[in-house]
Amino acid sequence: MNEARTRKVLIAVGVVFMVTFSLAPFAWMLLVSVSRSPDFLAQGVDFAATARNYADILTVKSLHFLEYLRNSLAVGGIVAVACALVAALGGYAVSRLEFRGRTTAALGILAFSMFPQICLVGYLYKLAHWTGLVNTYPALVFPYLAWTLPMAFWVLTSYMMQIPRDFDDAALVDGAGRFTVFWRVILPISAPGLLSAMLLIFIAAFNEFLFALMLTTDYHARTIPVGIALFEGLHGEIPWGYIMAASALASLPLVILAAVFQRHVIQDVTRGALKA
Amino acid sequence: MGRTADTRGNRDGLVAGGFMLPLVLTILAFVVLPVLGTLWTSFFRDVTYLPRKLMWFSNYGRLLGDAAFWQSARFTALFVAVSVPLELVLGTTFALILNERLRYRNALRAMVLIPWAVPTIVAARTWELIYNYSYGLANYLGGLTHVTPGPVNWLGSPASAFGALVVADAWKTTPFVAIILLAGLQTIPETIYEQARVDGTRFDQRFFKITLPILKPVLVVALVFRSIDAVRILDLIYVLTDGGPGGSTTSLSLYGYRFFNEGDFGYGSAVAVVVFILAFVLSIVYLRAGGFTRASR
Repeated sequence: MNEARTRKVLIAVGVVFMVTFSLAPFAWMLLVSVSRSPDFLAQGVDFAATARNYADILTVKSLHFLEYLRNSLAVGGIVAVACALVAALGGYAVSRLEFRGRTTAALGILAFSMFPQICLVGYLYKLAHWTGLVNTYPALVFPYLAWTLPMAFWVLTSYMMQIPRDFDDAALVDGAGRFTVFWRVILPISAPGLLSAMLLIFIAAFNEFLFALMLTTDYHARTIPVGIALFEGLHGEIPWGYIMAASALASLPLVILAAVFQRHVIQDVTRGALKA
Repeated sequence: MGRTADTRGNRDGLVAGGFMLPLVLTILAFVVLPVLGTLWTSFFRDVTYLPRKLMWFSNYGRLLGDAAFWQSARFTALFVAVSVPLELVLGTTFALILNERLRYRNALRAMVLIPWAVPTIVAARTWELIYNYSYGLANYLGGLTHVTPGPVNWLGSPASAFGALVVADAWKTTPFVAIILLAGLQTIPETIYEQARVDGTRFDQRFFKITLPILKPVLVVALVFRSIDAVRILDLIYVLTDGGPGGSTTSLSLYGYRFFNEGDFGYGSAVAVVVFILAFVLSIVYLRAGGFTRASR
């Protein structure tokens, strides 16, 4: 009896802490984003609500927010689709075909996700210069593709492992080739796995910072995280209202996606991590 | 019979190669080659406006005598040693709570995911404002509760800037740990606990005697992922402290980036190779300790 009460109290305290810790900074960001000035917590300053920060970052051309957003969405979208397809091809091979070095290849690919980005970025920068691709989408798309492939590969491989091989065999007996089986049978069945893989890839690409910082130079290809990190006022002051409004707009889609697909996200993050 | 199986096997091998080709080529071209390129470059004097020159290990020799390099190595080690255990403890706590049969459990899980979904740079900017000296949330709450003697310049002294980074990092990454551990918890059958309850154990005993041992492999996985991430940290620091004050929070990755940014690719590459070796050694050590080597496959 006593134990049950202690447990209840502990859990209640834990829930309160957990919710406050997780939500407070996010709530603070939203609050500042609709405040006329960011210093309303200082003495003698009142909070005044305004939509001005949002209106400005969406309309003032020199802030380039919409261009950063467009670049992020385009790069993230291209990478998500391309990466999911390339990873699905590999996942099909590993989950369905017998070949030598299958497990070695599978584990080896996972190991590549451990490579620190700083070990790639110097070379990628030079490569982008040699090819004249600095500050273009391809300069980001290819590195992001390679960098997110291991994760997508694992999510999709473990998804396809669960699909019975009877599906393949039925189609193969009918005389279909392997690629047809993949494209017409397994890929459609894997749609839920593909979707959540694309979600994870998109979030990773949307959040990436170091590559974007070094491989882009201005709003033609610069992505949201770099834009927000380098946001500066005209006179050296930090335009907190703009930054928080931009931050809110950049994170809301991801937060909503994560909340809606909560169960998928939890499953897939863990599948990717634990199957190893 | 053996013969048909054999030809089938060969054909499968070829087909598999075709299916794997785009994946393997992309990773070779944009991950493996860059890493080898970085290693190769680290043997050169490779600075803008100077002819490229093979110097073998002289960049590494320069590292040994570079006080700023050692400072960033110490910071990185300390950051991993403090932030990762904190995130594991917090993550375990969150996972235990989320595994309870609570009302609004799904809503709670969605809430805990929020920091994971927020871009790191956005999180860094938000915490930068929280730590603001004159109108930040941290000093406001500190004044309200009298936990701090007066306003603190959080990012102004090495010790408080370190703490500020650890807290911000814990906010961003605890959800990931919690998610992984939650999956581990869900594999433990309820019947084990019922039996233990019948035997008259307390809940803390059940946690340390049953839950923790079963959770160990999952904890090791979380430990590996988090440590490798913490060893290579850059973006959060870039925004929050930019390595300051006085270089006290410069991580190895940030230190290496500075040289790339100034056009010194040889020396920057040498720093990057050190980060690579650290991440590699860490994962090997942990996987050994967790008993994952070979036995699992």
